[in-house]
Amino acid sequence: MFRYANLIEALEAAPGDRPFITVWIDEEESETITFAEFRNVARDQASVYREQGIAAGDRVVIIMPQGIPAMTAFVAAMILGAVPAFLAYPNFKIEPSKYRSGLAGVTANLKAKAVIIDEEFPEEMLECVSLGESAKLLRVGGKASGTDSSLLALAEGGPKIGRESLTFIQHSAGTTGLQKGVALSHAAVLWQIEHLGDALRINGDSDRIYSWLPLYHDMGLIACFMLPMICHIPVVMQSPIDWVMRPESMLQVVSEHKCTLAWMPNFAFQFIPRRTPPARWKEYDLSSLRLLINCSEPVRASSMKEFETAFGLKGGVLQSSYAMAENVFAVTQSDIDHGPATIWADTQQFRSTHKVISVAPHTPGGLAFTSSGTVLSNQKIQILSESGGILGENFVGEIVIQGDCLFEGYYNRPDLTALAMEDGWYHTGDLGFLHECELYVVGRKKDLLIVGGENIYPQDIEEIVASHPAIHDGRVVAMGLYNADLGTEDIVVVAEVESEKLLATATELEPDIRSRIVAALGVAVRRLFLKPPKWIVKSTAGKPARSATREKLLQEHPELDGDVEVRHGESE
Amino acid sequence: MSTERDQMIQHIAELIRKPGMVLDENTPLVSSGLIDSMALVDLLLKLEDLTHKRIPAGKVQPKDMDTVARMFATAERVGKPRK
Repeated sequence: MFRYANLIEALEAAPGDRPFITVWIDEEESETITFAEFRNVARDQASVYREQGIAAGDRVVIIMPQGIPAMTAFVAAMILGAVPAFLAYPNFKIEPSKYRSGLAGVTANLKAKAVIIDEEFPEEMLECVSLGESAKLLRVGGKASGTDSSLLALAEGGPKIGRESLTFIQHSAGTTGLQKGVALSHAAVLWQIEHLGDALRINGDSDRIYSWLPLYHDMGLIACFMLPMICHIPVVMQSPIDWVMRPESMLQVVSEHKCTLAWMPNFAFQFIPRRTPPARWKEYDLSSLRLLINCSEPVRASSMKEFETAFGLKGGVLQSSYAMAENVFAVTQSDIDHGPATIWADTQQFRSTHKVISVAPHTPGGLAFTSSGTVLSNQKIQILSESGGILGENFVGEIVIQGDCLFEGYYNRPDLTALAMEDGWYHTGDLGFLHECELYVVGRKKDLLIVGGENIYPQDIEEIVASHPAIHDGRVVAMGLYNADLGTEDIVVVAEVESEKLLATATELEPDIRSRIVAALGVAVRRLFLKPPKWIVKSTAGKPARSATREKLLQEHPELDGDVEVRHGESE
Repeated sequence: MSTERDQMIQHIAELIRKPGMVLDENTPLVSSGLIDSMALVDLLLKLEDLTHKRIPAGKVQPKDMDTVARMFATAERVGKPRK
């Protein structure tokens, strides 16, 4: 059973003088806050919120750059029993009007009482977050005052923060159009940390986490903020943008701060070695790393091997996990004594019967799959056939999960919750199979792109492309195709022009369509194919058939099929 | 003799592989969707090579890399001589 009644009690129990968060800017600049200092700042901010009328149960949206003030703003809301949610900070690529409409949709659905921004929030973007009467706009700073007194005293007089109360809302995708707010209780988060902490043998006295993961993503929020807050572990973090601009900085931070734990999506395992000059590989000492966990994208043995070889990691450091916001975070975790297993399967059988028939490792033409580990305690997994029957080991089907850390539902969206939940089981939309009790995730049933670990709904992209005057309305398909060089999916879009003669102007149309997508969503499309009318394969209902269109595109452009290439060439 | 800026433009042209696309030092790269964030590191490493400077990680943002002209201005502003 848990030691704490709620997350705030867990924070309160942390040793005050222990460093909590270190924000690493670059080799010359970093900032550290202890648990006691963090509590002071959060408490002061909670007082400000309370003066502004924020009370238990109110939803509070936080739009601040990655850093300590964003994290104290989040906890300040929790202290009052309010329900915070992080949203992505606007970046310069996104058009203000698009950002504003996405944000308005999210805050309206949450019925947010306040939107919290930082003191440096760009003036030119202010109109994007000022949403009138519906949600109050608050600017907060990050200065501490007073002493390290009780956090819970602040909530006195208000409703008690119980285990079953909502603690925060996390969003499941980076794009805004179809944002689903995953509502979580204190109990769900505490259970998750308890199971995960056991599986990882977390030790508050000796562990130290490294993170570049965004706080609006479950891996950043749960593994790299809530877990250290509840287990009293220091975290050294940098902003995702600083990291992506210089992926080598991960090696610098881990070496310098002797970090022991980190999570990264699959692509980072090859992005870091490939974007660090090999002459510098030996300069870094990663021997402090106890566990480096591949999570939030399909796990590839070849990507992990590349990282391990480049930096001479000791065996057993590289691990894997399958996680999702709806389950707070992890569903499975590889056994930390043995690491994830890799198995080889007969390609023909796999493709035609969706069954895994094991073959010897490195069998020419065989398919390699890397496990995401076994299910955490008190959680259950089933693999379902298309008709809903329970499948045995080695058969591929939809992964459904049940357990004590499942979400309460999509906030204010009982319709979406009902679609995803059936008899207490959450239907993940992911495809996988079980083999010797380990879960292997092989693909997706639902329409979703995962780029660099971030979820993107294809519908968001398709809507923007279809609104272009030269494109036939509704005749656009966006898809994710595996790029073996990057270790993640590329966004590939195929769109039909209104009339064939427009194809002659493709060189002008293409940049225009690309910039519209960036302006609305902040993501870049890797390949855009403009096709003549009637090119896209339609379903019987007259809508574009995604998988058939994907197959047709791959037949015409076999060079796009990085998946076949990498799986065949993958080695253990 | 090509200048450093020309070399950078040439590097970007090879990176985006769009025959017929005309690039100059003011062509928006990130905000136009031509370059995604995962390609920024390649440009940053190339910029360091061309300017013989070290550019600290936290001192440069994607918008500072949106055009070739901005990249060189950024290197001038925050770059340090290589050790």
